[in-house]
Amino acid sequence: MSDDIKKYFNGLLQKVSGLYVIQITDRDGVPLLRVSQEKNIDFALMPSFIPTFTTACDQASKLGLGRNKTIISMYSNYQVVQMNKLPLILTFVGAENCNTGHILALEHQVDGYLEDIKLAVTEA
Amino acid sequence: METQLEKVLMDTAARPDTVGALVANRQGLCLVAKGDIDPNVSGIGMAIAQQVAKLEPNSTVPATICLYSGNKRCVIKNDGRITAVIFKQLTANSATGN
Repeated sequence: MSDDIKKYFNGLLQKVSGLYVIQITDRDGVPLLRVSQEKNIDFALMPSFIPTFTTACDQASKLGLGRNKTIISMYSNYQVVQMNKLPLILTFVGAENCNTGHILALEHQVDGYLEDIKLAVTEA
Repeated sequence: METQLEKVLMDTAARPDTVGALVANRQGLCLVAKGDIDPNVSGIGMAIAQQVAKLEPNSTVPATICLYSGNKRCVIKNDGRITAVIFKQLTANSATGN
């Protein structure tokens, strides 16, 4: 099953041009699945993304606009799209000119595959 | 600010056979959507336009893409800065040529 999910996310990575990494973690930042392009990008700081996102997400949910679902962060060289799928957090890292709309459109497509992982996380 | 854009899309969506229309920016994010069209289509529409542009890399004229499925049609055009996606549906009148 795990291989199927990894294969599926690897396929997604190929479909969206300029997408470097897809990572699924729990809300504490524990990596559950990670697929990346061969291009070697230094994401040594990546673990710090997740707890920061969780905090930002909690704060953004207090704005009175409802529960925060997605945060898009644009940097000079990269863009990071993080989705709140509690108990999971989905992180996409792509080039600065990567198609953000395409990444956002993946949200509903991946839901089916995330169910199995969600189940494993809640049982653990 | 986007009043002009909204007006153009409103006119487009009001045309016969047109179900909905949207415009996306360079990031594939929907700027305006009118009619029966999912704003999430903007990213996929732009991705299709980018792939099609690779077929003719030397062409200076932006390609117009037409996707047919059943009685529906999707027209995509990308001019480099913005991408327009229009959903059309064949009605009984248009099918008979009336």
